[in-house]
Amino acid sequence: MDSTALLLARIQFGMTAFFHFLYPPLTIGLGLLLVITEGTYIFTKDQEYLRVTRFFAKLFAINFVVGVASGIVMEFQFGTNWAQYSSFVGAIFGSPLAIEGLFAFFMESIFVGVMLLGWNRLSAKAHWISTILVAFGSTLSGVWILVANSWMQTPAGYKIGSNGIPKMTNFWHMVFNPYFPSEFTHVIMGAWEYSAFFMAGVAAWFLIKNNKDMVMRKALKVAVIVGVIVACGQIIVGDIGAREVVKYQPTKLAMMEALWHSQKYAPETLFALPNNATESNGPHIGIPGMLSMLSYLNPAAKVMGLNAAIRYINKKDSKLDHTKLTLAMFPPVWIVFWSFHIMMYFGFYFALVMLIALYFLLKDKLFDSPKMLKLLWFSTFLPLIAIELGWFTTEIGRQPFTVYGLLTTVDSVSKNVSVVDVGLSITMFVLIYITLASFAVYLFKRELRERVEGKDELAGESAKAQIK
Amino acid sequence: MNLNILWFILVAVIILGWSVMDGFDYGVGGLLNFIAKNDEEKRYVINAIGPVWDGNQVWLILGGGAVFAAFPLVYASIFSGFYLAMMLVVWLIIFRAVSFEFRSKVESIKWRNFWDADITVTGLGIALLLGVAIANILMGVPLNKEHIDYQSLFSLLNVFGLAGGLISLSMFLMHGSTYLIMKTEGEVQQRARAFAKGFAVAFIIVTLLFLIISPIFAPRLLGNSFGVIGDVVPAIMLIGAIGVILTAGSSSDIKPFAYSIIAIIGAVASLAVGIFPNIVPSSINAKYSLNIYNSASNHLTLLVMLIATVIGLPLVLIYAIYAYKKFGLKVKMDDSSY
Ligand code: HDD
Ligand code: HEM
Ligand code: HEM
Repeated sequence: MDSTALLLARIQFGMTAFFHFLYPPLTIGLGLLLVITEGTYIFTKDQEYLRVTRFFAKLFAINFVVGVASGIVMEFQFGTNWAQYSSFVGAIFGSPLAIEGLFAFFMESIFVGVMLLGWNRLSAKAHWISTILVAFGSTLSGVWILVANSWMQTPAGYKIGSNGIPKMTNFWHMVFNPYFPSEFTHVIMGAWEYSAFFMAGVAAWFLIKNNKDMVMRKALKVAVIVGVIVACGQIIVGDIGAREVVKYQPTKLAMMEALWHSQKYAPETLFALPNNATESNGPHIGIPGMLSMLSYLNPAAKVMGLNAAIRYINKKDSKLDHTKLTLAMFPPVWIVFWSFHIMMYFGFYFALVMLIALYFLLKDKLFDSPKMLKLLWFSTFLPLIAIELGWFTTEIGRQPFTVYGLLTTVDSVSKNVSVVDVGLSITMFVLIYITLASFAVYLFKRELRERVEGKDELAGESAKAQIK
Repeated sequence: MNLNILWFILVAVIILGWSVMDGFDYGVGGLLNFIAKNDEEKRYVINAIGPVWDGNQVWLILGGGAVFAAFPLVYASIFSGFYLAMMLVVWLIIFRAVSFEFRSKVESIKWRNFWDADITVTGLGIALLLGVAIANILMGVPLNKEHIDYQSLFSLLNVFGLAGGLISLSMFLMHGSTYLIMKTEGEVQQRARAFAKGFAVAFIIVTLLFLIISPIFAPRLLGNSFGVIGDVVPAIMLIGAIGVILTAGSSSDIKPFAYSIIAIIGAVASLAVGIFPNIVPSSINAKYSLNIYNSASNHLTLLVMLIATVIGLPLVLIYAIYAYKKFGLKVKMDDSSY
């Protein structure tokens, strides 16, 4: 396997994962919001909540199918491009994938048909239960796929067998590996956060055009209430997750914080231009002692720098026969540093926006404030950027490993797949993804336009007759 | 019976679930442009699978996951060895997955023609490639000592592979037609009855052809571990298909579909019996073959997965029965249909 083929395989994986994860967060989060709006309709009999639900369910459907289409790629890609990886850890890593299919995807995918096409066939309550099962199923799929991913970050519940291949020794240790709780919470909250911003942004767009739109006022209200809770919570959860990184992945932490050398009173660097060649940060600003404080709740604590962390991992995993790690095998630190920091800055920005929106809502000025509505509309997709940057941090920060401390990326890739093969498949994926994304955007816009033009068949009185 | 054998059977059962459930989706999709004459009829046909295709597709995902977990080496060597063929299937599935939803969103004729063509081509393509892949595995794959192989897309398209492809293609088209007999009424149903008969005949012919040439291409199929009994199993395929021919013209709406399921059971059973205890035979040296022992996960993984399956599969059946009941036997259109 030459390095070009490896590089291409990595590009393909990063690209397809990136593309897939543009969609699931909205499936998970909007699912929850639909449960809330439909539930409100059922308990208050307020027709406007039904219209919110039915309108956003249409957007949900468009997003959902692209999520499904791109997810299939992920499922098979481990075998096609990462065959060495698959045969090495399949016995452990494969099981959460299979369980996800069995327990989550079936529930999600069967009930999504009932939910989207069954408006006239089910009682209001039965329909609501379908919606709940869709939201529950998609969250559950998050559980199992994040079991798989967090296990790659902090492998647990296994033993290296006589053939040199890890075998499962304890299923629940594998599932509840150290990273899982914080990673799961953080990713699911990110999904809710994005969906709250999505609903708020779409509603704001309608309200900018017509602020008497009662249906969208309701949507915005729900979105802001949910949004403010998750946006504030996400900062706390992110902080907890960071301390897990401190404990288990010192090399990743050092890259996230651009800390080259171990030091006491380590600063939380806010701006830097990290340079791997010179092993320094160029011009930078930071808050002295803050990183030590965040990591160990003690400003004087010593935090491991990248070089020391590499030595540490080499010593800790010396029983494994992978090559000794050197700095040259690590990714450019600036990528991890900036992915992490921009995500974090976004996190504070989102909390601020939602808090202001809540203040306006409580003062009863939210719907009459074009500036605030525009800010929300502008922010619609920003959480998606934070989400992807979070994955860059996690995944690129884990390099040069695929399974931290156990298996390197170099040793994971298929040996029998040529540069031509992967080159061809990448080209196709680029074309397909551009096509799919353009269609999805086109259809999204079309739904919005149709509603503004009153062509939305549910906008008028007819909505009342929809549910028995 | 040990866990490895049990998992071999379970994987066969999942493949069966997939062929029966997702199989009619592919078949109906492949028939779309031939069986429906105008937009109204097309919507009618699409809504026969509309509420269920996504749930059905999970059988495929489950199959991928189950093989990954239970027989990781099989997952790794087949998927990487058949690289471009796998990618082709994935691309077809991608375009099929979005087509139903996208089609219904815009009313323009051009837009709809595009997606109808897409539904038809992807349905036919997947149905064909599936059999091609399986026939190639039956024939043996050039696995080396490290269980690694490489097959170009074109080397898969040999005579035996194509014959296998024709079996799966005619089988799924037959299955889709019988499903439409069950789900539709009126003219579309009449056409479905004719199609079902035609594809059942085609299925019988290509299957016999395949059985005749298999001693040349895959001699080990005759030497299967079950001896004579193993050679009789393919007869179930033929019985099912004959049942379809006999009942398709009758007044029964459900019997043809039931016989079609029997034919599929026969096909999957023949496959399992023919290949056991191997999963991927090596064409280089029988010693390099991947079988249910040397490719399997360790005991605990197999056990955990078995427990999960025993709990999970009944749940799946409950969801599915609920969904099919809610949408009734015959397609009814309303304003939330595709
Ligand atoms: C935290 C959530 C999450 C993450 C990290 C991933 N996915 Fe995903 N995936 C979902 C959450 C999700 C979902 C919300 O459940 C989707 C999105 C739309 C949908 O229908 O289900 C989905 C769809 C989806 C499907 C189609 C399911 C269907 O037909 O219903 C497959 C096969 C996968 N995914 C597989 C993967 C794999 C192998 C991943 C990792 C490499 C992955 N996903 C990352
Ligand atoms: C869905 C959100 C995800 C995104 C956006 C994402 C992104 C990425 C990126 C950008 C890389 C490339 C890192 C590099 O090459 O330097 C990568 C690598 C990898 N990721 Fe993820 N990832 C996601 C989820 C997952 C999940 C859930 C898993 C496992 C179940 C996973 C498994 C892997 C593997 C095996 C690699 C190694 C291959 C490589 O280095 O390119 N990823 N991912
Ligand atoms: C101040 C706020 C935030 C902090 C302190 C924070 C912290 C972190 C940390 C430390 C990681 C890496 C964990 C690892 O390597 O496993 C991470 C990853 C991630 N972040 Fe954040 N984050 C914040 C805000 C956000 C926001 C607003 C979003 C999205 C809306 C988000 C989405 C993600 C995602 C999807 C990942 C990858 C999955 C994971 O490893 O958990 N984060 N975050």
